[in-house]
Amino acid sequence: MTLLEAETGKTYKVKEIATDDEDMNAFLFRLGCYEGEPITVVSKKKNSCIAVIKDGRYNLDKMLSDAIVIE
Amino acid sequence: MNAATLIAVLALAIMLFLAVRYIYREKKKGNACIGCPYAGSCQKHNAGMSCDSNIPQSRKTE
Amino acid sequence: MRIAFAGNPNSGKTTMYNALTGRSEKVGNWGGVTVGSKEYHIKKEYTGDREVIAVDLPGAYSMSPFTPEEGITSEYVRTANPDAIVNIVDASNLSRSLFFTTQLLELGIPVVVALNKSDITSKEETEIDADKLAEKLNCPVYKTVSIEDKNNGLKEMIEKAISLAGTMQKAPYMQADIDLHDKNAVDAEDRKRYDFVNKIVAEVEKRKVLSAETTKHDKIDAVLTNPIAGILVFALVMWFVFWVSQAWLGPMIADWLVGYIESFQGWVAGQLENSPAIVSALLADGIVGGVGAVVGFLPLVMVMYFLIALLEDCGYMARVSAVMDPIFKRVGLSGKSVIPVVIGTGCGIPAIMACRTIRDERERRATTMLTTFIPCGAKIPVIALFAGAFFAGASWVSTLSYFFGLVLIFLGALLIKAITGYKYRKSFFIMELPKWKTPSLKFAFRSMMERARAYIIKAATIILVCNTVVQVMQTFDWHFHVVEEGAESTSILASIATPFAVLLIPLGFGVWQLAAAAITGFIAKENVVGTLAVVYGLTAFIDVDELEMVGGANTVAMTMGLTSVTALAYLFFNLYTPPCFAAIGAMNSEMKSKGWLWGAIGLQLSTGYTVAFLINQFGTLFTEGHFAAGFVPGLIAVACFVVAIVLIGKRVRAHFDEQYDLHRKLKKTEGATA
Repeated sequence: MTLLEAETGKTYKVKEIATDDEDMNAFLFRLGCYEGEPITVVSKKKNSCIAVIKDGRYNLDKMLSDAIVIE
Repeated sequence: MNAATLIAVLALAIMLFLAVRYIYREKKKGNACIGCPYAGSCQKHNAGMSCDSNIPQSRKTE
Repeated sequence: MRIAFAGNPNSGKTTMYNALTGRSEKVGNWGGVTVGSKEYHIKKEYTGDREVIAVDLPGAYSMSPFTPEEGITSEYVRTANPDAIVNIVDASNLSRSLFFTTQLLELGIPVVVALNKSDITSKEETEIDADKLAEKLNCPVYKTVSIEDKNNGLKEMIEKAISLAGTMQKAPYMQADIDLHDKNAVDAEDRKRYDFVNKIVAEVEKRKVLSAETTKHDKIDAVLTNPIAGILVFALVMWFVFWVSQAWLGPMIADWLVGYIESFQGWVAGQLENSPAIVSALLADGIVGGVGAVVGFLPLVMVMYFLIALLEDCGYMARVSAVMDPIFKRVGLSGKSVIPVVIGTGCGIPAIMACRTIRDERERRATTMLTTFIPCGAKIPVIALFAGAFFAGASWVSTLSYFFGLVLIFLGALLIKAITGYKYRKSFFIMELPKWKTPSLKFAFRSMMERARAYIIKAATIILVCNTVVQVMQTFDWHFHVVEEGAESTSILASIATPFAVLLIPLGFGVWQLAAAAITGFIAKENVVGTLAVVYGLTAFIDVDELEMVGGANTVAMTMGLTSVTALAYLFFNLYTPPCFAAIGAMNSEMKSKGWLWGAIGLQLSTGYTVAFLINQFGTLFTEGHFAAGFVPGLIAVACFVVAIVLIGKRVRAHFDEQYDLHRKLKKTEGATA
């Protein structure tokens, strides 16, 4: 499933990052968002969500949330 | 010409002189915007870096 | 000796730089406040009489840049050979920060790690073993709190950095010898680096509160980033800022200040009773009156800067950016465009520079082009003057000015989207939400005083000189004879400004005095007020006796010969035409394209003209039942703008398709060779 389908407050593992944009993938990697890393959604709306990656909180829009596949 | 006029003319001359000198000096330092608190961080003189080198390669092709 | 300050965005580099150098560079609680490098010598009390230059750099997550300002940092540490690097690490996000640290350690330049924001970690009861970290990284580590004046760890840290300068160090983690063009190899290598970092963090950090736990701050964030509630809160917050600074507290202080300025002017004029008229005019009207009129509005500007500084310091900006992203994206901008817009309420130049954090070039240029539609601090005197003189000091005038500016940004963005033939493109938005913090009053006060100082310098130099020149040009005709009373239109100023005034007839203010004021506004927007004071011989813009800016309202309104409708048209014309020359210069250096620059100036000129034209003509139609003078010529002018925009759009799009074709052809040939 993707980030927007996640249950809030539950920690998942990143399964795949599929943004079709190499620079963006690399950027997410540097934030610590890559395969196998934990990720937690703390709140979500219809078109965006706030996720905890490592020790930082980030606001991600729908397009980016959809590109992060978790399990 | 009375004393008040004399003082006024002198004050006028000094003020204008100081103002113009300040502007001239700042311009010489490369400051385009007098009094701007951010003048020092304007791109034209950020540690002598050229503008183009600031852009990552990926963007140039866009 | 040079020491570079590098680290993740919002780790506190500029705060530390300010503490060490005594400067007051812009700081704020979000990533990407610093967008260019700055340098200044460190205070002697830290260096022991040695000349050490600190170089503050924009935040970066790694050595490979993602946004333009990140590029400045990696370029600097790679090529400028600083003698030492202070790596500022946000102690509350150790695991992410150390990735960049290990890259810096490989450069062969001595690195000292400053574990900044140690106060936050101790509050959250997170323990970090600094000695163990130093051992693992093979470099000195110091706990620092830059916002404290004492016991902040800065002295020990900077002394260590100075003593290490010029030495070499062994990196704890060296990138393996891989083919840097092989994407998979690079990925695998970076992953190994992160594994190395994770291992260190697991050993040195003990957390009581896990960062993934939902806190009460998360509940606040959920509301603030909600598409409806969040925008309402933002509108309310901004309205409050404008109301306090321009309708309540600001004018209250201004009234008091103007009282003194006025009596001083009266005193000067009294002393010069027996002097030649020109001397009295220059000194009493030109300098004291003109500059005084501008300085009188200083309290409004100061209160505004104070409140904006509080907003920037608490961490709200990142939330605003997140909540506005969907709306901005719809018109072809990005949520990051909000930050320049809010900074733009202070000054357009830093706002234009703040656009650097926007990754997409088209979005970045469009934001640069549009951000100055938000009235800057220098336009506050103009707004306040007109609100006071024509609308009985109504606070809706200033609020309307700002929100209308926002509307123009949206419309302009849609227009740019249409002109550039915007093709659907993936536009991702990710914004770190920094931890909330209580805004520091001390910092806000310092920031306010810094801006006030700049405002006064501007008034005492540029505006003083401009006012004197205007006064001289108004007093003499081309033969350098003093213009006689009743023959004012023969003055140098009148004859220069009249041709422009003719163009402004359809807008309802086609007189040379107003045209002259609008023109001097391009040098600095405060000049509009100064010049109006000089050309109309007005000074008392704010009444001393009443706590409202209705002072001399009737006199001001009558002398200028404007109705409420034309006054609003004139105000909006000044607000939405191109900004001052300095801001245009900043636009030029940020856009790096003459086409975009001229497009921006053209767009702003035609916007200002069209807005004023519509307000004047339709306003007059509603209030008096007929169109105002010059309706047809004005309509033709507006039609010309539309035609020009359509033609430019066509040309750009044709060019765009061409480029697109070329791209396809290139791909084909690539495919053939492969």
